[in-house]
Amino acid sequence: MIKLQNVTKRYYTLVAVDNVTFTIPQGEVVGVLGPNGAGKTTLFKLIAGFLNPDEGAIECAQGVWPAIGFKPERLLFPNHMRVKGYLKMVANLSNVPRRRNEAAVMESLAWVGLTEAAGKRINECSKGMRQRLALAQSFIGHAPLLLLDEPTNGLDPEGQSDICDMIQALQTAGHTVVLSSHQLPEVTRICTYLVILKQGRIHYQGLMSEALALRPHVTIQVEGQLARIQPLLASLHPQIEVKESAIILNEGAIRLRRHVLSLLVGTGFDVLRVEQKRRTLEEIYAEAVRWHNE
Amino acid sequence: MAQRVITLIRYLLRDVFLSLTGILYIILTLVFWQIFFDPSQGTPEGAYYVLVIGLFGAGMAFLATLSVAARAHRAIHYPLLVRLPSRVEHLTAVLLSALTFTFLLQGTVAVLALFRGPEIPFGLVVEIPPLWIAVDVLAAVLALHASDLVTSGWSRVYIYGALAVLLFGRELDTSSGNWIGTRLSQLGGWFFRQGWSGLGNLVNRLSQWSHSSGVSSIGDVLDVAFWPFHAIAAAVKAGFFDPRQALAPSILLLYATVLFLLAADLFSTKDLFLTE
Repeated sequence: MIKLQNVTKRYYTLVAVDNVTFTIPQGEVVGVLGPNGAGKTTLFKLIAGFLNPDEGAIECAQGVWPAIGFKPERLLFPNHMRVKGYLKMVANLSNVPRRRNEAAVMESLAWVGLTEAAGKRINECSKGMRQRLALAQSFIGHAPLLLLDEPTNGLDPEGQSDICDMIQALQTAGHTVVLSSHQLPEVTRICTYLVILKQGRIHYQGLMSEALALRPHVTIQVEGQLARIQPLLASLHPQIEVKESAIILNEGAIRLRRHVLSLLVGTGFDVLRVEQKRRTLEEIYAEAVRWHNE
Repeated sequence: MAQRVITLIRYLLRDVFLSLTGILYIILTLVFWQIFFDPSQGTPEGAYYVLVIGLFGAGMAFLATLSVAARAHRAIHYPLLVRLPSRVEHLTAVLLSALTFTFLLQGTVAVLALFRGPEIPFGLVVEIPPLWIAVDVLAAVLALHASDLVTSGWSRVYIYGALAVLLFGRELDTSSGNWIGTRLSQLGGWFFRQGWSGLGNLVNRLSQWSHSSGVSSIGDVLDVAFWPFHAIAAAVKAGFFDPRQALAPSILLLYATVLFLLAADLFSTKDLFLTE
């Protein structure tokens, strides 16, 4: 949809985005993850056209720049306006035909569950309501690309779940959504494409299903300490890890699980549990952040 | 595009009217009227009415544009700006809303000043709008270049630096040419004493050029840029415009157009770091 080619953005000497090449895949929900200062907000502002890249180019794959709905991280509004009035203004700016304006506003209010607050002044709205209002304004006009910076920040668990459902519904309706979030379970649930940034560089990008399938492992939990057979286990395969009372068979060592189990039983250990796991997003992210800190 | 610009104008106007700055400007307008058009004294002549309210409009246009541009430079506008196909629409809305605000206040003073004020003949009534509008628009566009909304890098310094050079340059006349010539002549003598005869000759030639009305001719050339202001002031004092003077407002609008195009180019290509 939109293609970033070797994009670099500097703030004086600080490189906020460093040689990023990335195509926003049409119809996907893209989760942009990274620690604070990784360059997520700068990346959003580059895509939205607020910033110009110092190097590289941002191009539209179809040749025509898509309409964009943008929800910034900070919830700043013209506080003197009423909720409905603000959304009407956004609808006018989004080329919604005048006769459709009212319907578009009510639709977006209903979408975020704010219908009853339509007449309220924005400065009377709670943080959760302002978060919903920010989402409602990004949704107005059915922009094909939605950039949502921290869309569930400040919402209660029920509200977070509602927003996740809404984003999934948007994807079903054909919208492309790019969001950033520190709520990893939520990202795992709704995002279909993953980008992990660290120090302005892309550490990982690809389909979420592929990311989670990376490096599966088998954990065998036993009763008692494994110290006495640790050298024996380690000699079987370099990808076998031994931790007190657990053995982790990584990738290449998984095929040895039967052999390891019979060895354990043969040496008098009681096997309590055998689990085959895939990597979680938390693990993938923690790895990226650890490398970032190193 | 018209729908989007009108929507933004309505929003920005409401925003500025409801702000403390807006209220302050309304109070300032009434104070201005009280001071310069005191109803208890009466206003002496039409020229005073046209020039003083024209200057008030220019000042107000400058201040109002600075205020509207500052309000339009807040981070609350990111979600609105992303909806616009071109950032120039936002800039146009800022300029037009500041001008609308100015015209309302200028119009208020103009109407209030008629109370026990001068007799305004129909001829003057027809001449006033183009005069005031041209001056207001130029002042507003200059204010855009002074605002953070438009400024990109050192652009503010370049624009106002060029203006300062023009203002200083137009003051150069025969006496200043003589003064510069004398100084250059002294400098040339010093170069000769140091044995740098090549440099001394060059400076002496410059000194002669300066004495022989060279510097004052630069002043005359630079003063051409200010001809529309002289023409308007002369015409208002005389009470009528000759055909040549009638062009002056159009030339001011031409200046404003060029400066607005420059502002639009700066604004549409700069990195937007709106104030949070």
